[in-house]
Amino acid sequence: MIGIPAALLLGTILLFLLLFVAARGSMGARELSSRSDVPLLDDDAPLDPCPSEIVARIFSSEDWEFVAETKSLQLEKLFRRERKLVALAWVHQTSMAIRRIMREHTQATRQSRDLHIATETKVVLLYAQLMFLCGALFLAIQSAGPQRARGLAVYADTLSQRLADAQHALQTVTAGPKFHGASSS
Amino acid sequence: MLCIFPPTRVSIGLRNLSSSEIRRSMLTQVIWWSSIALESLLLFRGFRGKLASRYPAFYFYIFFVLLQDLVCFAIRRSNSAKEYEFAYWTAEFLCVLVSCGIVLEIYRVGLAAYPGTARMARRLLGLIFVIVVVKTMVNIAVDPRWWTQATAKGVEGTLRGIQGVAVVSLVALFLFYSIPFGRNLRGIVLSYGLLVGFSVICLTFASSTASLRVQALLGFLYSAIYPVFLTLWLVPLWSYEANPLPKYPVPLEQEYQRIASATQRRLQDARSYVARAVGS
Repeated sequence: MIGIPAALLLGTILLFLLLFVAARGSMGARELSSRSDVPLLDDDAPLDPCPSEIVARIFSSEDWEFVAETKSLQLEKLFRRERKLVALAWVHQTSMAIRRIMREHTQATRQSRDLHIATETKVVLLYAQLMFLCGALFLAIQSAGPQRARGLAVYADTLSQRLADAQHALQTVTAGPKFHGASSS
Repeated sequence: MLCIFPPTRVSIGLRNLSSSEIRRSMLTQVIWWSSIALESLLLFRGFRGKLASRYPAFYFYIFFVLLQDLVCFAIRRSNSAKEYEFAYWTAEFLCVLVSCGIVLEIYRVGLAAYPGTARMARRLLGLIFVIVVVKTMVNIAVDPRWWTQATAKGVEGTLRGIQGVAVVSLVALFLFYSIPFGRNLRGIVLSYGLLVGFSVICLTFASSTASLRVQALLGFLYSAIYPVFLTLWLVPLWSYEANPLPKYPVPLEQEYQRIASATQRRLQDARSYVARAVGS
C-alpha cells in the first residue's frame, strides 16, 4: 500500500504534468503545422550568441578590481547590478541554446527505429547535468554575483574534463563519419 | 474506473450514520443516473463516430463500467448489503485491471508514428513493472501477512498508484520528445490521468483512516466527481480527429548513432563553453 505522502506527491506531479499537456495542446498543434519535421541538427550552428571576449569579461575580476579602485560606492553598486544582469542574460541564452540542441535531438530520434537506450540515457543525463549547471550558475550569480561564481566554475571545469574523457571513450565505441547536418549526409 | 464508489455504495458507506436519509437523497440518485447516462452517451458517440474501433481499450473500459453500474445496482436492489459489497469490490478489481488497457492504448496510439520514443516507453514501462514486482516480493518477504491483511481499498489504491506512475512516465516521455497529442487522445489522457490521480489520493486517505464518517465522505466525493470526468471525456471524444503525424519520415542515412554522436558533441561543446566562460 502506498502512503499518504507518496499519494499526494504522485497526484501533484500528475496534476502539473496534465496541466502542462493541456496548456501546450493547441500550441503544439500549431507548432507542428508550421514547423518542418526535418531534423535541423546543424552541427556547425554557433552555440555562443556572445563573442567569447565579452563572455570572458563577465566573470573576470579585472573590471571589478578596476571599479573598486575608484572607491566610489555608487559606481560599485551600479557596476555590480549591471554585471549581474549581463551574466544572468548570458546564462539564460546559453541554457536556451542547450535546450535547442536537445529539442533538435529529440525531434530527430523520436522516429529512429534503431534508437539505443543506453546512448539515449547518456545524452539525457548529459543534458540534465548541463541544465543543472546552468540553474546552479543562475542561483550563484543571483545570490553572490558573477565574480563569486568561481567555485562553481572550477567544478564545471573539472566535470567538463571528466566527461570529455568519457565522451572520448564513447566515441571510440560508436565511431562514425562526422555528421554535418541533414543535407550533407 | 470509476465506478469507484457508485452511489449505491455510498449508501452502504453511510448506512451506519444515516442510511435512510442518504438512500433517499436526491443527489445520490442524480449522480447515479447521470453517470449511467453519460457513459451511455459516450459509448453511443464512440460507435457513431467510429472512435470505438480506434480506441477499443478505452471504450471497452467505459462499457465495462456501465455494465458494472447496472449489475451492481441490480444486486443492491435484490440482495443484502454484504452481497452487494462483495460484488462491487470484485467488479471494481476487474475494472481496475481493464483500465490498465487505457495506458497501453495511450502508448499504442500516441507513439505509433514514433518508433524511437515507443522503444523508450517500452523500456520505461518494463522497468516500472519490474520495480513493482520486486517491491511486492520484498513486502511479502518482510511481512507475509501483508497481502492478506490489505483492504480492498488499499489494494485498489496501490493498483491505481502503479497506473499513476505509468501515466506520469508516458506523459513525461510525450512532453520530452515533443510528441503531439490529437484532440481525442489528449482528452483521454487528461481525464484518465486526473481520474487516476484523484483515485490514488482518495483511496489512500480512505484506507488510512479508521473514521467511518471520513471514509463515507471520501466515497461520496469519489462518486460525485465521476460524472465530471465522464464529461471531460465526452467533449473531446464527441467526434473523431486524427492524431497529427510527422510530415516527413526520417531519412535512412540518419542513423541513431550518428544523431546521438552529433548531439553529444554539441552538448560537450556547450559544457566546455560554459566552463571556459565562467572559469576565465
